[in-house]
Amino acid sequence: MTITRRGFLIASGAAVGLLRASGAPAQQPPAPVPGKEKLIVRSPRPANLEARLGDLTAYHTPEDVFFVRNNYDAAPIDPAQWSVKIEGEVDNPLVLRLDDLKKLPMVVQDVTLECAGNGRSFHKPRASGIQWEHGAVGNGAWKGVRLADVLSPARPRSAGRHVAFDGYDKPPTPQAPDFIRSVPMWKALEPHTILALEMNGKPLAHLHGGPARAIVPGFVGSASVKWLERIVVLVDEFDGFYMKSNYTAPRADNEKQVYSLQSLEVKSVIVGPSEGARLAAGRTAVWGWAWSGEGELTGIDVSTDGGQSWTEGTFTGSWSRYSWRKWEYEWDARPGTHTVMARASDSLGRIQPTSRAFNRLGYRWNVIHAVKVDVA
Amino acid sequence: MWRSLRAPAILAFTAGIAVGLRLAPASAQNTPIPRTPGWELVMRCVICHSVEVAVQQRFGPKGWSDTLDRMIKYGAPIPPEDKEQLLVYLLRHYRDADGR
Repeated sequence: MTITRRGFLIASGAAVGLLRASGAPAQQPPAPVPGKEKLIVRSPRPANLEARLGDLTAYHTPEDVFFVRNNYDAAPIDPAQWSVKIEGEVDNPLVLRLDDLKKLPMVVQDVTLECAGNGRSFHKPRASGIQWEHGAVGNGAWKGVRLADVLSPARPRSAGRHVAFDGYDKPPTPQAPDFIRSVPMWKALEPHTILALEMNGKPLAHLHGGPARAIVPGFVGSASVKWLERIVVLVDEFDGFYMKSNYTAPRADNEKQVYSLQSLEVKSVIVGPSEGARLAAGRTAVWGWAWSGEGELTGIDVSTDGGQSWTEGTFTGSWSRYSWRKWEYEWDARPGTHTVMARASDSLGRIQPTSRAFNRLGYRWNVIHAVKVDVA
Repeated sequence: MWRSLRAPAILAFTAGIAVGLRLAPASAQNTPIPRTPGWELVMRCVICHSVEVAVQQRFGPKGWSDTLDRMIKYGAPIPPEDKEQLLVYLLRHYRDADGR
């Protein structure tokens, strides 16, 4: 057994002892995480914190409402002591410190990160995993260096077709799988793929992967590995648990086989009005965010009659290739109960569906978002 | 290429126990789980993760059994006799309506 009996007794005994001393359990949610008090705590350890849609009002999601998804937590890292290894199928393995990275050309780009399991709680029956609703998504301004510029001096061999990221987060037991994700070389070398050192103009916070994390735009959030320790060039896709088991979905052509998730789905959410809102009749702004992984958004349609009819909405405000886009629709609301819906489409010919086939791990939830409102 | 991570993992695990001592009681206190036979066994899960991770899941007998087997494979201190009791507890309170 890898967990020592003494260690187990200490941990479980302390937990049980306090529970007994406290009598009936407190009927309250988990304690908030400092600096993240506005987020819903899906689990304190590892930290999994979700934004409320009503807090996602800014194009750049402020750090205090930016979701956190950790498979494992990492101990805080002193930036002065941090380094990352570049190894594997390379002719010149490297160890780079923060100062080395800062000598490379810096880029700043807006990228929307979304957890692959965002929306999992809407699957029926309940899918396995953290029960996210809509808020495991956020849009950051990420400053850092291109991964291509980091890989180039290491001289990847031509056989290297994939790049794996391993962070300083480690599983709590030696038997549990390390959290390692790989991306294809074409994505690693894409100019938008970076090692981020800053988020929204500030050094990357620990909960968001500081001092340095991968940002792999358009891919599911798990590709953007935090607390980078090693970047490994591989011949094949990494074959660990978090590539071959978790973060997989059934293939369209053969449901018995799975593939490792890459691109996010085309998706939109309605921020205003909120579910259950009571509105005054008249002109009402319906608005929200839309994004689309590897595709580019081509349209946003809005329905105020539960999907019977659709009208084109308008994209507005700032955006960039891999950011979400704000959309708006001016609705002349009449008295009654209405179901407001939004449906985005993209350049890959994808359009948000009305349903999503159940998959065991609850991924790919991009079903059309609907909110019910009362107009008086 | 993937050098052994055992030593760092053990260090991380040791740190995890320390973190667990600090966080697990608060987490458990704040998570109302029914005090029926077997509930103490759930506290063994908090060595690695907070109670919330477990009790937001819903499975049937096979799903929970497979999940416990996986956790045991990863080092959860749940011997066979306790696994059965824990399974009964989880199915009593966190069973999927469809019985998966």
